[in-house]
Amino acid sequence: MAVSQAVADQITQLQAQQAAITNALSAMLQGTWTGAGSVEAYLLALNPTLHFTPKPPDYSVSRPDQKLKWDPDLPQPHQKGSWTCSACALAWVLRATGADPNATEDSEIAEIGEPDNINATYGLMSSAGGALRAVYSKYGLSTSQGWLTFDEAWTLAGRTTGQMSGRTWYHWVALRGQDGPNIWIANSAKGYEGISESLSRADFNRLGPFSVVWLES
Amino acid sequence: MDDDQAMALLTTLQRQQALQTQAIAAALEGRWTGAPPSVEAFLYALNPTLQGKITPNPPVLSGG
Repeated sequence: MAVSQAVADQITQLQAQQAAITNALSAMLQGTWTGAGSVEAYLLALNPTLHFTPKPPDYSVSRPDQKLKWDPDLPQPHQKGSWTCSACALAWVLRATGADPNATEDSEIAEIGEPDNINATYGLMSSAGGALRAVYSKYGLSTSQGWLTFDEAWTLAGRTTGQMSGRTWYHWVALRGQDGPNIWIANSAKGYEGISESLSRADFNRLGPFSVVWLES
Repeated sequence: MDDDQAMALLTTLQRQQALQTQAIAAALEGRWTGAPPSVEAFLYALNPTLQGKITPNPPVLSGG
């Protein structure tokens, strides 16, 4: 049975209000308290009758902006070779961060170093990712590496990008971000071992342990 | 829109409201960035497309 138009209208209004509140939270997190696109603006959009005197927090202690930015929606082409996943993941991170907008599977095979560091027999020669970190370093990107738990990797995916490889999976992917409770990945071999672009805790445990190389912000 | 669709939408709105409430609580407690329960984490849960597009600038918190 169809709901009444009044109920449908109320749901639509609630959705618009939820969006405004989410936008206000985003502005708050970014320190935009007053003016256009601010907490103040979204609050007045939610309730134009409100009267208040904004008193934003004190930002007088200056800090450098160290937040790393990347485009999590950037497409990841399917890998051409069966052994080139680490180069594809590296190329995605370089493109997504803007470090090298023209990075490709082939260019990163060359930068990693074929055949000593990557080759058709073994793929990437070291799962610790030293050869990958050397490439990031060439672009001025500082990295760290570790064998992480799912919770550690999920948390990292929320604040930085990088790439990771499951030892059982024998496959490297890049980090797009978080997908609810899962890790959102850029996968150059979608469907391999049943994984597309979202890695659950169960998948992580099934395909790990995972070596993660991430960019320091 | 039928009853089932309306109920599904209301369930989503309830879930979003719970996340927003938790985000406000995190702000009140000064947990702005990083792993849950932070404002940043709840914001990404509310809208995953914001990942990588937010530049947190949390207030300077006094010690003690």
